Amino acid sequence: MMLLVTSGVAPYLAQAESILDVGDTFIVPLLLKLAFVLGIFFVVPLVAGYLEHKAMARMQHRRGPVEAGPFGTLQLVADGIKFIQKEDLIPSAADKWVFAIAPGVALVPAMLALLVIPFGPGVFALDLELGLFYVLAASSVSVLGVLMGGWSSANKFSLFGGLRAGGQLIAYELPLILAAIAVAVQAGTLSLVGIVEAQAEFMLFGTGINLWFVIPQLLGFGIFFVAALAELSRPPFDMPIGDSELVFGYMTEYSGIKYAMYMLTEYAGMVTMSALMVVLYLGGWQLLPGVPLPGCEGAGGLFDCDVTGTLLGVVVTFGKIMLLVFVMVWLRVAYPRLREDQLQRIAWQVMVPLALLNLALVTIAKVVY
Amino acid sequence: MAPSAPPGIGLLKGLGVTVKHLFKRPTTLMYPHERDVLAPRTRGVIALMDENCTVCMLCSREGPDWGIYIESHKETVPPAKEGGRARTRNVLDRFEIDFSLCMYCGICVEVCPFDALWWSPEFEYSEYEMGSLLHEMEKLREWADTVPPPPPLEEGAVLPAEVSDALAKAEKERELVAAKELEAKQAAEAPTETAGDAPKKGKAAEPEIHVKAGEIDQETFDRLIAEGKSERMARAKAKAAYVKKEKARLLAEAEAAGGAAEPEAPAPKAAEVKVEAGEIDQETFDRLIAEGKPERMARAKAKAAYVKKEKLRLRAEAESDTGEGTGADEPAEVPSELGASPEAAKQALDAGDAGTAPAEDAPDVAAEAATTEAPAAKKLGDVHIEGAGEIDQEVFDQLIAEGKSERIARAKAKAAWVKKRKQAKLDEEGGA
Amino acid sequence: MTGHDVVFVLVGLLTAGGAVLTVTSKNLMHAALFFAVTLGGIAGVFLPLAADFLALVQIVVYVGAVAVLFMFGLMLTRAPIGREALDGQNRGLAMAVAGGLFVVLSTLVIGAFGDLPTAEVTGPRIDDLGIAIFADWVLPFEVLSMLLLAALIGAIVLARRETGESGEELTVTRIEMAQDRDPDALEREQAALTSGSGGDGEEHA
Repeated sequence: MMLLVTSGVAPYLAQAESILDVGDTFIVPLLLKLAFVLGIFFVVPLVAGYLEHKAMARMQHRRGPVEAGPFGTLQLVADGIKFIQKEDLIPSAADKWVFAIAPGVALVPAMLALLVIPFGPGVFALDLELGLFYVLAASSVSVLGVLMGGWSSANKFSLFGGLRAGGQLIAYELPLILAAIAVAVQAGTLSLVGIVEAQAEFMLFGTGINLWFVIPQLLGFGIFFVAALAELSRPPFDMPIGDSELVFGYMTEYSGIKYAMYMLTEYAGMVTMSALMVVLYLGGWQLLPGVPLPGCEGAGGLFDCDVTGTLLGVVVTFGKIMLLVFVMVWLRVAYPRLREDQLQRIAWQVMVPLALLNLALVTIAKVVY
Repeated sequence: MAPSAPPGIGLLKGLGVTVKHLFKRPTTLMYPHERDVLAPRTRGVIALMDENCTVCMLCSREGPDWGIYIESHKETVPPAKEGGRARTRNVLDRFEIDFSLCMYCGICVEVCPFDALWWSPEFEYSEYEMGSLLHEMEKLREWADTVPPPPPLEEGAVLPAEVSDALAKAEKERELVAAKELEAKQAAEAPTETAGDAPKKGKAAEPEIHVKAGEIDQETFDRLIAEGKSERMARAKAKAAYVKKEKARLLAEAEAAGGAAEPEAPAPKAAEVKVEAGEIDQETFDRLIAEGKPERMARAKAKAAYVKKEKLRLRAEAESDTGEGTGADEPAEVPSELGASPEAAKQALDAGDAGTAPAEDAPDVAAEAATTEAPAAKKLGDVHIEGAGEIDQEVFDQLIAEGKSERIARAKAKAAWVKKRKQAKLDEEGGA
Repeated sequence: MTGHDVVFVLVGLLTAGGAVLTVTSKNLMHAALFFAVTLGGIAGVFLPLAADFLALVQIVVYVGAVAVLFMFGLMLTRAPIGREALDGQNRGLAMAVAGGLFVVLSTLVIGAFGDLPTAEVTGPRIDDLGIAIFADWVLPFEVLSMLLLAALIGAIVLARRETGESGEELTVTRIEMAQDRDPDALEREQAALTSGSGGDGEEHA
């Protein structure tokens, strides 16, 4: 990350004109960025997974992992090694190619979505003008992988899991995008870095009180959070997996490294969605509303940071991400799974109208103010 | 949720509950590092006391998973009395429980009519290979050492019929022996002070128990253990040796009391011994074992040899018409008789803690009765029948320190204690 | 040949391959998946033309929604695994139509723009795009959205057609709760069932 910052690959002002137009030379920065994203992709989801293991365990009076590594921190690494060793089973009736490709189709978009997310002042692979739209587009492709896995397993539970996933993801994509659009409207940009900047500069109706977008758009934040849970098939919206009804949904026939890829997709999705919420609503790497980071000079204490400021910004971002991940785990422990009809009714009769209302309110306020 | 409550309150309450539990102590017990205190009758593993097994096959047939395999052969036991009918009985050759099949329902333990199968609380016998979960008879016998003793009977409870019957018989016989010994002592003018001999190592306060079954000859036992025999075999042989010795000694005493000065008379020759099922011809047994035969076969043949020998001897005695009087015979029978009849006494002893076994409580009660009625007789009787429950603390500690199992250590310590006591008595008598 | 050209050629080949496989594959689900590849490839083709927004819209709408809906629909109705003899027997006609269309379009495009000099493309800023759609061309935009709304309502109307309107007789079997029914009727029905003469007509008329 420091390498990226110091080599000036992505200075905040030099917005990339195009997804392909990423630097002076095409290949080298691309590799750097891929390495950066891969590093994040393979480390942070494991931390989130560890947090889930531990928090869930403690809420259920258990200890969670304790043996692998200090306090069980390497449990997920051990799990990964185990998954690699396991036999890769393919059902004889399955559509082999589709079955094999499906986890990758689910995994790669989740990885690509991390490209544009800023984790600190200057710590991002890309600052796209269309960053927000890009993340939503990438996450919408993951559904294909789920549907492919559900269909190709030649298993009725997998098929039902895939169907449920498809219906659920189509239904909740709408409120998710509508809530995100409201933020874009308020910030006046689709760039994620720009949205963080806009939050640093947003004053509550000219009073001089700096606020993050979570306050004026509390409704939108709630919609986004619930829709993100549903998009990720996280409990209480885990009907596509529904282990008490569908064995393990679209993952029923998967084992070994392919199963691990699906699981990594889920945890990476948690991290991506949490990071997106941090950027959209919780002020990105700002410690507190209106408080500039130490060592940062540019644009309200958000940019042009020294090493301390950069590190602090990264720590703040990851802290917020983990907080949101914890809330997701918390909801998983607290709430039972919804019924399929309840899920659809909530999506179309509650979430979409509320998201439209939120968008209308934000737009009116933006025009009036 | 009450219908009047605003929507969403229930959801928040749910979150409150979970976050409250987040800060509670986990109830996990870190098993290999810390251990739970299990209930004393935990059903961990099934143990076998093969001497109780009659090969009735009930356990094998009732077990829902068919995990018990039994092999046996038939043996002919000669008639107990002249002109009686020869009987066949099954002798257990092989007894296996496949714990990879076992579902721990406990039906085999329930149905066993002779208390040969027991639950032991040991549970740590997992293996890396499934085949290793097939426990053979020797292994099952080792588990039997870990079976906790049965709980003591309630105050004033009626004793089991077989125990009270055996007790009545034992009491009668002890009185006879006591009377004879009293005579002997009075003749020798040497009252013994047995209380002074008891080791005062903390365990001395245990109740005095009078049981003959289960006593083993420590010398034989130690020698066999030293020779590398299995504990089980050594114990069996030691028991046999003990019984033999005891008979010889009692007979000698009785004869000494009666004036017939024949101190070195070998027991089997002098006494009329009923052909007991458990008796074996030690010589034959040792020889066969030395030849490398399996223990089962050796014991079977040794039994047959014993029966044959006894018959020959009895016939010779009858011919020469110099048999002993019945009064002299009965005391000699005491140890072997008791050794075979109350099954409960035997198994309880084998279970490892003689102190609380009902069959041993019972003689205790009887002994107390005897104490009030005839204190002198009791004192004398003590020396050779008391013993189970008391252990030689030194030996015990040493064996534990050597890493032996508690069971073996206690058995050896008991034997050592008995030996000491006997030695003391012998010395006293010799001195007198 | 710049990096953009390389990307264009690769993505173009991918798109063309996906398109060919879409129409030639015998399995309906495979066809749908290749169709998704084609749609994604088209989005990729937009990138070297600096039309990022269009590319992302292509992905969100066509890959993330249309292709997913295709697959969703197929999985709900019929999606057998393995080879199936899916052949419309219209290969000749289809190839003729496709070839003719290709010739016409190529001629048109080359004839119209072939003389223009090549220039470095610079994509529009997102602000310009927004102003163009929602200010300059707001009327066509609204008309298009009205058209889509009409199509949506029409689809709902078609999906919810009532008995008889389609001209065919529909046998609707209503499942009623036993306790809601008249017990005599239940008995009568059971008697009718046991006697062999179906009671459907009077019960569900």
